[in-house]
Amino acid sequence: MAGGSVFECKEYLFKVLVIGELGVGKTSIIKRYVHQLFSQHYRATIGVDFALKVINWDSKTLVRLQLWDIAGQERFGNMTRVYYKEAVGAFVVFDVTRGSTFEAVSKWKHDLDSKVKLANGNPIPSVLLANKCDQKKDSSNNTALMDNFCKETGFLGWFETSAKDNINVDEAARFLVESILANDKGLPYEESNGERIKLDQETVAAESKSGCC
Amino acid sequence: MAAEELPSEFDVVILGTGLAESVVAAAFSRVGQRVLHLDRRSYYAANWASFTFNSLLTWIQQHHEEPQPEELHDWSSLLEEGEELIYLSNTDSTSVRNLQVFCFTSEEGEEAEAQSPDAPNTTEEVSAGDAVKETSETESADSKYEETNQKPEEEEEEEQASQTEGEEPEADQPTPTAAQSQSEPTKKKISYAQLVKEGRRFNIDLVSKLLYSRGSLVDLLIKSNVSRYAEFKNVTRILTYRHGQVEQVPCSRADVFASRQLSVVEKRKLMRYLTSCVEETEEQRAYNGRPYLEFLCDQQLGNNLQHFLLHSIAMVTEDTPTEEGLASTRHFLRCLGRYGNTPFLFPVYGLGEIPQCFCRMCAVFGGIYCLRHSVTCLLVEKETNRCKAVIDSRGQRISCSHFVVEDGFVGADRKRLATPTRFLSRAVLITDGSILPSNSDQQVSMITVPPVAAGCPTVKMVELCPSTMTCMPGTHLVHLTCQSVGSAFEDLSPVVTRMFRTPQSHDQEKNPSVLWCLYFNMADGSEVKGHDLPSNVFVTFGPDGALSHEHAVSQAELIFKKILPEEDFCPPAPNPEDIIYDGENTSTGGEEEQSLQTEE
Repeated sequence: MAGGSVFECKEYLFKVLVIGELGVGKTSIIKRYVHQLFSQHYRATIGVDFALKVINWDSKTLVRLQLWDIAGQERFGNMTRVYYKEAVGAFVVFDVTRGSTFEAVSKWKHDLDSKVKLANGNPIPSVLLANKCDQKKDSSNNTALMDNFCKETGFLGWFETSAKDNINVDEAARFLVESILANDKGLPYEESNGERIKLDQETVAAESKSGCC
Repeated sequence: MAAEELPSEFDVVILGTGLAESVVAAAFSRVGQRVLHLDRRSYYAANWASFTFNSLLTWIQQHHEEPQPEELHDWSSLLEEGEELIYLSNTDSTSVRNLQVFCFTSEEGEEAEAQSPDAPNTTEEVSAGDAVKETSETESADSKYEETNQKPEEEEEEEQASQTEGEEPEADQPTPTAAQSQSEPTKKKISYAQLVKEGRRFNIDLVSKLLYSRGSLVDLLIKSNVSRYAEFKNVTRILTYRHGQVEQVPCSRADVFASRQLSVVEKRKLMRYLTSCVEETEEQRAYNGRPYLEFLCDQQLGNNLQHFLLHSIAMVTEDTPTEEGLASTRHFLRCLGRYGNTPFLFPVYGLGEIPQCFCRMCAVFGGIYCLRHSVTCLLVEKETNRCKAVIDSRGQRISCSHFVVEDGFVGADRKRLATPTRFLSRAVLITDGSILPSNSDQQVSMITVPPVAAGCPTVKMVELCPSTMTCMPGTHLVHLTCQSVGSAFEDLSPVVTRMFRTPQSHDQEKNPSVLWCLYFNMADGSEVKGHDLPSNVFVTFGPDGALSHEHAVSQAELIFKKILPEEDFCPPAPNPEDIIYDGENTSTGGEEEQSLQTEE
């Protein structure tokens, strides 16, 4: 851990959403990225809210990335606002072996843009992940098509990923974080929001006056 | 997102996503029960919902439309031997009524476009694009807007209002000098078009409540870790309305000492009273059953203090019995200082967040959510009088062991109506400033307004600032609530006219102007009514008029305890940062489960 440059180290906490159809590998990607694990066998995403990845971005920057998985409700597409609020980036995942999951991408993107915006009203940066590329049957090259699709749909870019073989997961995350950081620098954060209070167990224990994050 | 078929078996099916239902859902899901949580509406939180400005307009419009009588399907073909059907109500048109909307700001927005008062970093291009999109989404709501003014003379007044505004020089000429449009708050009124354009910055709650910092909802949020989904703001001051003036109520020790309205003698008396009333005394018991006001009178505190103690601290009426008045005073005092200078918290993004936080927790533990999806009828086993299954709005038979339903979905034929439903009167105002300006423009205020005339109700008012993320910069959002005597407009407009500037108010130059307001009545959920329903069907009731959330939380806990008396109610969910995934072997095959462990 590069804890040396305490004086100049800037810490960021970013909430990033991971969305897409059932079974496209959202949880696998998160697990691969956060825990360096891949497991073919899991059912649904029970009891997991988000996973945290701490990145020593550079000597002056520490990024804490909260990756929010969608929970049981995903199948019917009714996410609470709790899920979307204050997210600063998103991955939309589809499964290259199932065309229907790609068709749903625009719907997910539209849903995303309608439910969360940056403080300045712009859509949050999002990256498209073509997952399970290790299982891709045809080796046809759709790069141009995909680039065009991303442009039209408003994705920053796309990556062929495999949570199983650990392909491009880190790269995609790096690409998204770069863009989030660029946004963050461009926008003076709304400081007027003042102090917010978190209620948590520690607050109870300490009974401190306020436990702002 | 696919229109997939639902699983056909659950432990608990819950209809309605209000606070009580959502807490029930989280509680069951958390202890491993299979939960299906449905709502007929297209949004979460039922009558507890909060809306952006534009979605509120849509909601208003929906309530003006005649409810479409859905054709009643005959599902008797799905009946099995020894079963019968109970149909649920297919409209929820009864819980909200008397909607009236007034717009006191200019409707046209072309000039306003040039002079957006906030977001200097928003580029013109982007905002224009946004406006177009939002308008198209709510086109229907806007076009129906005129119809929402019910009485013709009010419509006239409204036009007058826009005209008078138009005559003001600063409203007419768009002269956006840099200084005007940025740091300095401009005098220019925010137009209706701006409200629509910045609509997403509003989160307008249908209910108006606060969280007592030591109330049961705060305790539950902390205990269950559902609190991780929410952030709060302190209510920064308690105000009251007296002799035509808004005054700050000193309630903490620091406030009392700092107060400039109180004399030294009053300060001493108030401190002595607040210290002494914490303990129950013989003297207090002697007043049991007699009005708290009488008790206060006999303490010889003087009119000032008496008013503060009765209306703002105990928040009771003049005829409330002493023991009740003292109990609420003590609760108020206990809640002071835990998080801030007042006993209250307000959730960032509005109260509508809270039910959704519980829904998220339910979903995280496997609960399935469908909006725009209802239950049309229950299948009841005649012999045992238990509900075995429900039939959803798509005609699917879903079996369940228990069914929880919001009162609004229960047909009138199943209700044992003793008295006509009571209502709450609500008003929501978007204003252009605080009711009591201070050196900070980010105050969150709780205001108690005693009856303005004999026979009028006591009004509770909450004023929210933009940092609560419930209104756009340059505005405040004001919620008024009281037990209804007449319609919401009849009950609350006299208070609005006195305390704010509207075309109806006179000599109120210094008061903040009302830009837009909505009045409506909502059924009072505190009236728990009996139902003729099977024993494993549980009915929940919507928001009540109290400031606290005790009613909803206690309903939820009661239902949970009835069904699962042995289980813990909302035990803490593991902290996501403590969860470690088991690296399973891929060879196990068969039934795969993701196993989770929590670190110490």
